[in-house]
Amino acid sequence: MRFPSSLSLLFLALLVVGVLVVGVVGLAGSGVSEAQAQVAREEQKTSIQITGYQLTPEVLMPNDLGTVTVTVKNAELAKSVNIKEARLLSKELKVASDSYFNIGRLGHGESLDLTFTLKATACPDGIYYPRVLVKGEDAQNIRYSFPVRVDSTLLTLAVKDVPEDIFKGERARIELAVGNPRPNTATGVKITAVAEKREEAEEEEKGGEGVAGGEGVAGGEELVPSEVFVGALSRDETKTASFNFTPQTNGTRLLNFKLEFKNGENLHSAELSLPLKVTESKKKPELVLTGIEVEPSASGSGIYNYKITGDINNAGLEDANGVVMKIGDAEGVEATHPYKSYFVGLLSPDDFSSFELDVKVSEDRENEGEGTKVPLRIEYKDEDGFLFSKTEYIAIERQQGQRTGSSGVGVGELPLSVVVVLLFVVAVVVGLIAYSWKKR
Amino acid sequence: MEVLTNPNRFFEAKAKGEREEKGAGGGEGKGGGEGERGRGEREQSLKIPALIVLTSGLVGGISLFLMAGVTFEMLRKSQTLPQEALGVVSAVGGVGAFVGAVVSSFVIWVVAAALFFAVSCLFKGEGKFKRTLEFVGYGYIPTIFSGLVSAVLVYNFVSTTQIPVVTNVADPAEIQKALAPLLTSPLLRLSSAVGILFMLWSANIWIFGLKHARNLSTRDAVLTVAIPVAIYILVLLLRNPSSLGV
Repeated sequence: MRFPSSLSLLFLALLVVGVLVVGVVGLAGSGVSEAQAQVAREEQKTSIQITGYQLTPEVLMPNDLGTVTVTVKNAELAKSVNIKEARLLSKELKVASDSYFNIGRLGHGESLDLTFTLKATACPDGIYYPRVLVKGEDAQNIRYSFPVRVDSTLLTLAVKDVPEDIFKGERARIELAVGNPRPNTATGVKITAVAEKREEAEEEEKGGEGVAGGEGVAGGEELVPSEVFVGALSRDETKTASFNFTPQTNGTRLLNFKLEFKNGENLHSAELSLPLKVTESKKKPELVLTGIEVEPSASGSGIYNYKITGDINNAGLEDANGVVMKIGDAEGVEATHPYKSYFVGLLSPDDFSSFELDVKVSEDRENEGEGTKVPLRIEYKDEDGFLFSKTEYIAIERQQGQRTGSSGVGVGELPLSVVVVLLFVVAVVVGLIAYSWKKR
Repeated sequence: MEVLTNPNRFFEAKAKGEREEKGAGGGEGKGGGEGERGRGEREQSLKIPALIVLTSGLVGGISLFLMAGVTFEMLRKSQTLPQEALGVVSAVGGVGAFVGAVVSSFVIWVVAAALFFAVSCLFKGEGKFKRTLEFVGYGYIPTIFSGLVSAVLVYNFVSTTQIPVVTNVADPAEIQKALAPLLTSPLLRLSSAVGILFMLWSANIWIFGLKHARNLSTRDAVLTVAIPVAIYILVLLLRNPSSLGV
């Protein structure tokens, strides 16, 4: 058999090259398969799995403390696994709990929850990925990363509705809306009315002028209720809280509301300041006392009884309901029967009613100054049942014959003219008697 | 006027005139008719003392009327009587106070004269009761002035005082309790003192009146008048000093 020489050589060369290429490729291919087999062998050995995690709260706020619970599972079908160590690793977030060591054996198919504490210390808003490292026996290790979101957005507190005009002594309804722009649910949401600091200081400087003015709201608190509990607020949810504000003084008032809520176990707060201008009402009941008469009644030793009578008029433009006249609290002054208090009832605008009150004034009180001022307290309710009070002071002149009277005549004191006339009469009578004996 | 300035001479003249009338009537023998006329004039002379006593009663009635007004005001304030009844009570009470004052003046006049007459009997006084009654009546002149002064003081008191309110007018204790502070008023106390002063003046006149009416010595006349008057004043002062002026 004979082949052409050139073609034979070319065929041979190609055959050699082909064998060489196949050999090289074959050698290289055998190296990759070895690595793959090694990985496969390790995976076959690592039967520990992390099947899930739970973060509480779902979204942290800066400086919040949260917990993450990872579930470790032994996926082995027949063999238990010894877990040596479990730890949480994070660069941005602070791990506030210790790692787990020598956890023990985990039976086949069993799960184990491991909880770690995280704190979002001084980290900006964003998403962070801490890692959980679980080491088992026979170099069975597993690393697991999960996302943790940090969001500093607070709940919002806004004014929903406020009356255009707010009048002194009249109730105004203030509605606030609290909203949750956060991506997770806020719990324990409540709104508290905080005392107005600046205005209080001004009131003190005025020396309690409001009280001296005689008008105020019974009960003392201007904002009712002082606290509204809203409860849980889901993401993007809004709820409303209402407050009743009954101002006692005129002028600009600054109402402060404090919003408190919990993000997980972390308490957060926000504040809202609401400036309001309080003016005098033009329609409210205006109770005026007229025709006041103070008359002494039966008195005992050291005690002086008086009967105060007069008229109470409503000069306002609205009804005064349940009007009651009382003797106010004062040292040495005490209301007595039969009229310790006097019920007037409904007093319509431009209407009036007579009243009478009995009061007992002690001697010590009588000795003070030129006379006694008895506080007369007028109470009435508005149409909403809110109680208002007003105090007027009634001056009591001392009874003539006891001490001093309205004419200025007192014990051992008589008008000079009377004394002079009487002395003259005495002199004349004595003179005439003496003269008659001289002439007999 | 002489009865106030020189009562001794006044009553002496009165008594002397009567004796002269009596003597003249007995001397003439036939002048019985004139004597009867003279006795008739003497009987008519009681008119002047009666007028004096009446005036004294009327003036005293002013104070009483004013004080009655205090009581009615108290009644009005206690509102225990209806308004119509209160008007009737006020009118009747006011007139009653006046009439009572006048009647009591006459009664006291007669009682006082009888008392003096009885006491003077102890000193063997001589003279008719009518004469004593007449002269005691003249002694009422100072009480007219006393009544005027008291009326001014009581008016001043009533117009300035605050009338207490008594809730239960049926309870005398409560009324007394309410009036107690009023009765201690300096004006009423002064009125009482003025009353006593003028009573002493009256007593002075009565002394000279009794002296001539009952033909007593000055000493006996003083004792006759002083004993009842002193007892009377003492009793009044001990009971209620302020009641004298009313």
